[in-house]
Amino acid sequence: MSEAFSTASIILQDLHKHFGLVKAVDGISLEVEAGTLVCLLGPSGCGKTTTLRMIGGFEEPTAGQILIGGDDVTRMPPYARPTAMVFQNYALFPHMSVYDNVAYGLRARRRPKAEVDKLAREALDLMELPGQEKKSPPQLSGGQQQRVALARALVIRPKVLLFDEPLSNLDAKLRVRMRGEIRALQRRLGITSVYVTHDQEEAFSIADRVAIMNAGKLIQLGTPRELYSEPADRFVADFVGVSNIVPVEVVDSAADGATVRVFGQTIRSRRPPSNPGGQVSVVLRPEALRVEKTADGGVPARVLTLAFTGPLLRYTVAVDDGTVLAVDLPNPDPDHFFAEGTPVSVLLPAEVPALLG
Amino acid sequence: MVDNAPVLPQRWSSRQRQRAVFAALIAVEILLLVFVGTRLVQVQAVEDYREVVGDQETIYLRNEVVGDPALVALLVLGIALPLASRRLRREPVLLVAVQLAIEALIMFVLWPLAKVFVEGFKAGQFVEGFSLVQFRTLFQMPMVVRATKNTMVIGVTTAFLSTLIGTLVAYTLTLTDVPWRRWLRNLVVLPLISPPFAVSFAIILLFGRRGVITYDLLGIKDYTIYGPQGIIFVQLISTIPLSVLIISAVFASMSRDLEEAAEDLGGHPLYVLRTVTFPLVTPAILTSVLLSFIGSISDFGNPMLIGGGYQMLATQAFIQMIEMFDLQLGAALGMLLIIPSLLAFLLQHRITSRRSYVTVTGGARTGHVRKLPAWIKWPLFGLCVFLAAFNVVLYGSIFVGAAVKTWGFDYTLTLDNVRGLLTSVPMLKNSMIVAISAGILGGLVSIFLAWLIGRQKFPGRAALDFSATMMQAIPGTVVGIGYILAYNAAPYFWTGTFFIIIVAYIFRRLPVGLRTGIAAQKQIDPSLEEASLDLGASRLRTFTHITFPLLSRAFFAGVIYIFIRAMTDLSAAVFLNSGRTQLFTVRMFRIMVTSTPSEAAAFAALLIVIIIISLGVLSKVTGKSFVDLFRI
Repeated sequence: MSEAFSTASIILQDLHKHFGLVKAVDGISLEVEAGTLVCLLGPSGCGKTTTLRMIGGFEEPTAGQILIGGDDVTRMPPYARPTAMVFQNYALFPHMSVYDNVAYGLRARRRPKAEVDKLAREALDLMELPGQEKKSPPQLSGGQQQRVALARALVIRPKVLLFDEPLSNLDAKLRVRMRGEIRALQRRLGITSVYVTHDQEEAFSIADRVAIMNAGKLIQLGTPRELYSEPADRFVADFVGVSNIVPVEVVDSAADGATVRVFGQTIRSRRPPSNPGGQVSVVLRPEALRVEKTADGGVPARVLTLAFTGPLLRYTVAVDDGTVLAVDLPNPDPDHFFAEGTPVSVLLPAEVPALLG
Repeated sequence: MVDNAPVLPQRWSSRQRQRAVFAALIAVEILLLVFVGTRLVQVQAVEDYREVVGDQETIYLRNEVVGDPALVALLVLGIALPLASRRLRREPVLLVAVQLAIEALIMFVLWPLAKVFVEGFKAGQFVEGFSLVQFRTLFQMPMVVRATKNTMVIGVTTAFLSTLIGTLVAYTLTLTDVPWRRWLRNLVVLPLISPPFAVSFAIILLFGRRGVITYDLLGIKDYTIYGPQGIIFVQLISTIPLSVLIISAVFASMSRDLEEAAEDLGGHPLYVLRTVTFPLVTPAILTSVLLSFIGSISDFGNPMLIGGGYQMLATQAFIQMIEMFDLQLGAALGMLLIIPSLLAFLLQHRITSRRSYVTVTGGARTGHVRKLPAWIKWPLFGLCVFLAAFNVVLYGSIFVGAAVKTWGFDYTLTLDNVRGLLTSVPMLKNSMIVAISAGILGGLVSIFLAWLIGRQKFPGRAALDFSATMMQAIPGTVVGIGYILAYNAAPYFWTGTFFIIIVAYIFRRLPVGLRTGIAAQKQIDPSLEEASLDLGASRLRTFTHITFPLLSRAFFAGVIYIFIRAMTDLSAAVFLNSGRTQLFTVRMFRIMVTSTPSEAAAFAALLIVIIIISLGVLSKVTGKSFVDLFRI
């Protein structure tokens, strides 16, 4: 695209949305810095789509404020906002050609014909859609429809792009490719984006920062690395990956870290627990654990199940006190699987980034 | 090759068996055709001329073909054409099904319609050859010229206003948050449950010369409802429900994402309405225009009752055919009715088949409430409330009318009118026989054709679909005329039998049953049938235990739809019934013309009660509200 995109930050201030008695969004405050991509991640019904729809102007907040580029847009109708949305089912107009779909936003703004043509063609080129102009949307494949939806949104030079689970109608391989393309495009154009998904992997691979939501509340906002290594609570730890969350006994806690005991072993945490008096747990990532033949130094356990996925071998093992742990073994050796019922030793990591609680 | 040798004999035998079945089938069909052909075409000796020599009179005879060779040729073609398809030759069951469907449509759709054209271009009953004499006669009659103009005026005005009001009401009741929507929806479509002419009857009770509202309430003495204004008013009341149903179905299934996307891209609400919302409902709007146009030009009861001498083509055709018994002139009048209807149908068919976008997809969010400014919302609400209240008063007046001595003069309560109904018991019985048979048979035919057209693949499927749907565009009056022309004379003499009336109703209402059936089948995943077969059930058991139960709702909906339409029809009935098979609506119409309003009101009230009961049965059986039933 020849013209540069002007971009803007988004600020949500204590946003509420009630549908009758249901509090779909219950006090969300969030800042999306200009030019970055933030993912709203959470289970269905957590309020992420409602939040996105409030930014787009389709739902009016019950309380709170929305600022885009410092301007209060809370009561502004969708057509007056500098936002463009990519819908889950693309919402391509079935009675218009691909070209007319892309040109729609420009024509709605009464731009001169020559300009409409120039910008629409640029957008089609950008999304690698030349030659498809005259087709009608149902004639296109899912991936192509996705590109048309993106071209249609980009052509109006929005300050903010909104994505409502845009990849959920594509097959797994195409999903991975499209998310790479969306990310590359967003970086290149430097356009502020909010992206809603319930897929943790998709969120982590595409976002600068991820906002984890549950029951209408923002639980934790951070980079994928922060969320993964320092989850704020059990919900986050659970949602961003299969986790073994085990209660621990705090041996020693200081500003520069803590020592805890679990299964009779000592583990060092680089950060102290936020609430040392209460219940403290440790998150043992399956890929951080290992199983070996019974040996000293490990935690004695027994193999319950094993599942081979190709790159990974996942064991579930039962420790002697009954705790069940998931253990992922990368690059598994096909000749050395432990059969179900085999006694093994689980090796714990010596150090973890943080503790829960 | 050698390895394959043992397999070959078995293959041959199976192919031979297939050929034997096929040959037997063709033999039976040829025999049937010959049998039917000799019944339909006969060579008779007729007197040619006489010669008198002395006291000897010699009568010379010549052979003459009587009957319908053209129909036989069409029937032969109908049997032969499917044989050209290799696919059908391989599947005898499908082949016979297709042939049956073609034969039925030739006999009961195409032939009667063709007859209208054939007779219309004849110079007289016994004169062969093409002639425009009927049209010259017609257009020399000032009455007919006026009737043609009047029909177009009424048709276009009604179609336009009905669709406009229908669109507004449909929008209000499906996409806004006005109160009492459920009640309003049911009351607005109330006129569907009665014969159209009951509406003009009720309007006369209210606004006529001694109408309760005009005469008693307002004291107006010099206004008359009789005339074109009355016809348009009454036709609007009868067609608005249909427009509302057709258009609200589309509004209800329209995905809100499309409008939101348009607004999101910068479209101002009015711009979105013009560029997205309106184009998406265009097909439904066209359908509404078409059906209200056809409904209002073909209706015959309302103009007779409330027209006050205002002539229309349908009434003229009735006079020419039934009172003057001039079949050719009647046929020519029928053609004048059919041509605009068919043109409108072709236009609508073309446009909607090219641009029908409303597809029901699982994920689409539909029926979203649009926020409207109060100055738009409340007037729309007022319109709906007015229509609903008006219908209540309208139908209320029929029941009150039936319970009083003489409407307009003496409002003391009495049971006399109900007693008067006793004389109509034979006609009620006739109507029930016709409506129940047409309902059940029509339901079966609809499901059969829906299976054929919706589920099977064969060449010519679209043509079959088109022929079955075409009846939708044929005015009821013309259907009556066509059936009389086709099957009145030798060798059929079907006029005046229940058979002809039943068949006419089945094929007249086929389009609706067919659409319902196809829609219902689309919702049945073929894998359900496959699962049943896979679990070891036979094809028959699969049909009786899986397919039919899933289709039964559509079947019953079709049965009751045809039943109600048959119970309330007048336009086709006046042409097809006879003294022996007189139908309740025809009797009721005569009472309305000749007897006191209160006596007639009792007839209308009884019919409405019967229909409400059958609708009650239907919603029990199908679990649907009656509004859904009339969706097309």
